[in-house]
Amino acid sequence: MGYFDVPEINYTRYSNRQLAAVPLAVLAVALLVLTGSFLVTGTPVQLGMDFAGGSELTVQTTSSEDEIANAFDEEPESVQAVTAPDTENQYIVQFTSTDLSALSEQAETNLEQDGDNDIVQLESTVSESFGAQTQQTALLGIAAAFLGMSVLAFLLFRTFVPSIAIVVSAFSDIVIPLAFMAVAGISLSLGTVAALLMLIGYSVDSDILLNNHILRRQGDFYESTTRAMETGVTMTVTSMSAMLVMGVTAWLFGVELLASIGIILFVGLAADLMNTYMLNLSLLRWYKFHGVRS
Amino acid sequence: MGPISFVKEYWRILLLVGFVSGALLALFIPGGIMADDSLVEDESVDDNPTNLEYGLGLDGGTRISAPVIGMTAEDIDAGAVDDEDGTVDRERLTEIENTLYDELDLDTGNASVSVDDDGNVHAEVFTHEVTEEEFAAALAEADVEVDPDDIRDGVSAQTRDQIVETIQSQINAAGLSGGDAYESARLGGDYYIVTEVPDMDPDELRELLSERGVVEVRAYHPDGNGSHTNETVLEGEDIVQVDPPEPAERGTGYSVPVQVDSNAAPHFQERMNELGFTSEGIGQCSLRGDGETINFDHADTDEQYCLLTVVDGEVVDAHSMGDLADGMSAGTWANDPSFVMGAQSQQQAQTLSVNLQAGALPAPLDFGQEQTLSLSPALADQFKLYSLIIGTLSVLTVSGMVFLRYRDVRVAAPMVVTAMAEVLILLGFAALIRMPLDLSHVAGFIAVVGTGVDDLIIIADEVMDDGEVNSQKVFESRFRKAFWIIGAAAATTIIAMSPLAVLSLGDLRGFAIITILGVLIGVLITRPAYGDILQRLLTDK
Repeated sequence: MGYFDVPEINYTRYSNRQLAAVPLAVLAVALLVLTGSFLVTGTPVQLGMDFAGGSELTVQTTSSEDEIANAFDEEPESVQAVTAPDTENQYIVQFTSTDLSALSEQAETNLEQDGDNDIVQLESTVSESFGAQTQQTALLGIAAAFLGMSVLAFLLFRTFVPSIAIVVSAFSDIVIPLAFMAVAGISLSLGTVAALLMLIGYSVDSDILLNNHILRRQGDFYESTTRAMETGVTMTVTSMSAMLVMGVTAWLFGVELLASIGIILFVGLAADLMNTYMLNLSLLRWYKFHGVRS
Repeated sequence: MGPISFVKEYWRILLLVGFVSGALLALFIPGGIMADDSLVEDESVDDNPTNLEYGLGLDGGTRISAPVIGMTAEDIDAGAVDDEDGTVDRERLTEIENTLYDELDLDTGNASVSVDDDGNVHAEVFTHEVTEEEFAAALAEADVEVDPDDIRDGVSAQTRDQIVETIQSQINAAGLSGGDAYESARLGGDYYIVTEVPDMDPDELRELLSERGVVEVRAYHPDGNGSHTNETVLEGEDIVQVDPPEPAERGTGYSVPVQVDSNAAPHFQERMNELGFTSEGIGQCSLRGDGETINFDHADTDEQYCLLTVVDGEVVDAHSMGDLADGMSAGTWANDPSFVMGAQSQQQAQTLSVNLQAGALPAPLDFGQEQTLSLSPALADQFKLYSLIIGTLSVLTVSGMVFLRYRDVRVAAPMVVTAMAEVLILLGFAALIRMPLDLSHVAGFIAVVGTGVDDLIIIADEVMDDGEVNSQKVFESRFRKAFWIIGAAAATTIIAMSPLAVLSLGDLRGFAIITILGVLIGVLITRPAYGDILQRLLTDK
């Protein structure tokens, strides 16, 4: 069986410009995607039920997916089958309407009961105005978290370039998964907001590690980098694999909150690998060899 | 080695062992360490093997959040509170309130003028049908000048407290154990009233919440000009004690025996005598209902003397004055003011009794802005199982990766064990403070394993850096370096998560709180202990 080793990259072959170009290009594309989506739909990312309002039912029924789609007066936004041990015939149905009692009534009259189970297993609704408020609160939360993180980064390193490197790569770590969501059609929910905030924490970990090894330790730049990478890449890849497992199983089981947290963290951590070891590294190398003296 | 040097040597590990045992105790000792079962309904019958409490998302039930309908003119200059000694002129308050009812044509219970603990007077109306301008104009009629711009949406803190209390007693009176109501602040000063009950579907709960439960007794009598009129003679708040409903002694229907407040009883008695209920009106009520409402079709010449039971403006029962008439006309009834309220069905009688006991909801809730979540217990059980599976799989993945990376059981095994200990301590803590666990907390636990292992990797790499660890001194200095990074990373995670822990973003609060707690436990307890364990194993001491 293959062991997991962190590959050593020969950074001397690439100039700072070359290194920084890739992550900056990806960031630019991500921003472009978000702007495009904003111009077309009015929001950078499709808003989920938590923010836009709407209803969701989890139904247990022997009716087919098509029958479920036709059982309601309003066409459902989506119907997703739940795949989990000991669970059959369970579907999650989402609507834009917020008339929950009408929806659950239609479900109960038009769907076939599966044994003695209740047809409607979960019903949930968020009104539009409640969602709009949640949206503001969430934006405020992300802004506050980001600001707090930036201030802390400056306090920790007290020099401009290494600190701004952390802030820029954390920013990119959030923007890239957002663009991924816009492209993959994942809508923004409370779970994904939690994941984005969690990303701030996770992404700063590896940045601090790298900065710390390069700036505060003795020894050659490339030696320090290799050591920081050994630890940092192990960390990030371990977290990524845990998040992927959590995301995929939770998605199969229909546990939306855990699924969105898992998938978004996976994508964000992948972005973080690139940002830390290309963008952040090139900034640090520039700072170490040119910035300090000037 | 003496006991003191033993403790000095191993204190980090001892601390970890101590916390883990504490967590195990909190989780598995029946009743928990803080055996305060007075707070919890009889849950010993639960088949729950641990002391963990589950929230709505893992236990099933219904939660409805909705704001209160109404607007408030705060701190008005009503001239009702004496500046010197703070005495309150109640009559002046009632006068303003009555002016509001008259000017705005409000239903009973939809206006309130009250004084808070600081002596500030607030006027509130609980309806969507009045604009700020109309409200201000009505207040002006009562000689209170208020700028319409100073009138805000929402109701006063006192009213919200009353609403929460009333809902709590309503769900208790309806026999729903484990239900709860609380208010939740939103951005921009809005408040939502949140109600959670375990065994009700959203329609039932919405019905319970949308019924204000304003109970009145009205006297329906000839007005002397050939037709009939009615007037309110008793209100819900005039009734102090309510007995369980029982079948009526005469005829069909049910009755709810009550005690009238001794301050209200004389007035009621007087009105009954004045209106003729205790003389010519005895037994003179032939209005009958259909089980729901009352049919008022009768000839005007056919004189009726009926006491109407009115709930939320709907007449649910009508009956005549019976045995109490003698005591009333003699003026002795008020000394022992027991009274019987009627209802047509047992269901109605039950609702009436609940409404009387719990009191009326001071203001209606706005279901146009609601947020609802309802989960069947069966699905909640599935979620519990899924959480366990997802959690286990994530931990296995993390362990697998760590083994693949280090190829050394001495490094990897303690890592996995330490990360698990972290989760165990957190679970123990949750059981100790009886924090109801939801899916968001499960996500938090998994995030804790993730950050925890990250930090352990930093420690391991740092300590094993540059070959053998051959002395205590080398180990200590490397460990300290590793700890600087861990501390900095922990601080950022806590800062990133704290907005979520403070802002009311529903599900995410639990996630943030667990993550922050986990990071703290990790940095203060488990991660130092891992360093110690690793040192023993690597330096072969």
